[in-house]
Amino acid sequence: MSTPAIVGEGITVRFRPMVDRKPTLRRSLGRMQHRETKELVALDNVDLSIKKGEAFGIVGRNGAGKSTLLKVVAKTLRPDEGTINVFGKTSTLLQLGVGFNPHLSGRRNVYLGGLAAGLRKKEIDERFDDIIEYAELWDAVDRPVRTYSSGMFSRLAFSVGMAMEPNILLLDEVLAVGDEAFREKSMKAMRDLLDRAGTIVFVSHALPNVAEFCDRAMWLADGKVRSIGPSADVVDAYKTAVHRGKNK
Amino acid sequence: MPPTSVASGRAVRAARNYLLDLWSRREFAWYLAMGNLKARNASTTLGLFWWVLNPLLLGSVYWLVFGLIFDRGTLDVTSRALAPGEELPFLAYLLSGMFPFYFTQTSMTGGVNSIVSNARLMANLSFPRLILPIAALIESAVGFLTSVGVFFVVVGLVNGIWPGPWTLWLLPTIMIHVLFNFGLSTIVARIAVPFRDLNNLVPYFTRLWLYLSPILYQASFLEGKGEFVETAFRLNPLFPILELYRYSFAGIEIDLGSTLLIAIAWAVGLAVIGATSFIKYEGKMARYL
Repeated sequence: MSTPAIVGEGITVRFRPMVDRKPTLRRSLGRMQHRETKELVALDNVDLSIKKGEAFGIVGRNGAGKSTLLKVVAKTLRPDEGTINVFGKTSTLLQLGVGFNPHLSGRRNVYLGGLAAGLRKKEIDERFDDIIEYAELWDAVDRPVRTYSSGMFSRLAFSVGMAMEPNILLLDEVLAVGDEAFREKSMKAMRDLLDRAGTIVFVSHALPNVAEFCDRAMWLADGKVRSIGPSADVVDAYKTAVHRGKNK
Repeated sequence: MPPTSVASGRAVRAARNYLLDLWSRREFAWYLAMGNLKARNASTTLGLFWWVLNPLLLGSVYWLVFGLIFDRGTLDVTSRALAPGEELPFLAYLLSGMFPFYFTQTSMTGGVNSIVSNARLMANLSFPRLILPIAALIESAVGFLTSVGVFFVVVGLVNGIWPGPWTLWLLPTIMIHVLFNFGLSTIVARIAVPFRDLNNLVPYFTRLWLYLSPILYQASFLEGKGEFVETAFRLNPLFPILELYRYSFAGIEIDLGSTLLIAIAWAVGLAVIGATSFIKYEGKMARYL
């Protein structure tokens, strides 16, 4: 089976960061005269093809364009060039607890986070008990979220993200949620998703996790695809390159 | 079919899809607004009481300065709420302009911050971005509706001016005003994304706007200052809206037909300009956050 879940072609993203480390009047006047700022190519002609039922890892150094690529797939960033097609219901866990308001109760935040992710209120009503149970929150649910431990917070956020019942899950460095028991539970949730022919795209610096969990991986360097293939091979190649760089 | 009509057909379809998408996410806008409202007073001692206290304090401050110190006394206006020969107390005049103005002011400050303060949400999730200024608008609208209640209680008890048949005009007036504020807040929200300086400018702009509008003084104050000044003063887009409020709050006679027309024209114009320029710009917003 090789039905595509995510297909991207020639994705290019350029940023024009406003560089003003020490904004002085003279410099800012100068900037107004010639507005051209140095262009930064975050993604350079990246092709991407991820199949249904596949766990796909993205590795690379800081600033290589990993998160930018995930944002393009999540459609929060429109690429300058290229196309991206995503087939399925996507749940994005690029950061945990997006849409949460720490001053409000856990209950309220389940609704806020769920609605932000695209659920309807009725759907959240139906799934509410499951979400709380899955997050192991129980009677803390009516306390303000700012009083939660970081583990509780992450569990709730992950639980709300999974309540989408996504076909496609985009994860950025968030696998390390909660204690060992919850980590196992979340790993199981992701395996279940893969068994149901779901797709996971996963950005991480935890290389053993990528090698073990993902079928295939992509190594990004300076916005370009350095290699793409079975995750163990890509991770090995990446590791070797990093060590060689260090010894220089 | 000529290519232009194909393109415009596509644009119409895109606009329709956008609005459908927006409508399907209405619960999100509502929860976002209510969440912010709840959170704002969650850690205060007086909690929900601030709802009533805010407009009371706002009115008190200006009444202290312009009602007591400058002593405006009563105003010679024709009002359906007054007996013949009776004059309108300054308090009723002040509050019937101040509360609506404050609604516009909070809409603008809420709108100008709505994108930047939700950067995290924007970076992570895709949804029609217009949700954010709309949620901010709901927040200020809820505040305004409480102040409407405060107006009738305070002005009723203090000045003996109670709602009458003219008060029925309050509903259409508020609807026009909401559209007007929606336009303004989306315009400033869109501009503030690349041009953050607007955040700092808006408070000064709204203060100037307050002083240039007939709120702390009557429009007749400018009579004899020259035709140019008077015309310019009346071109203030808030002018017809304030007139409508003066009528629906305190029964002050106005030329209802023409005032209504001008107010609607401003509101629809601003809303269309605001929404289209905002939506066109949406795809680029993520780059500035």
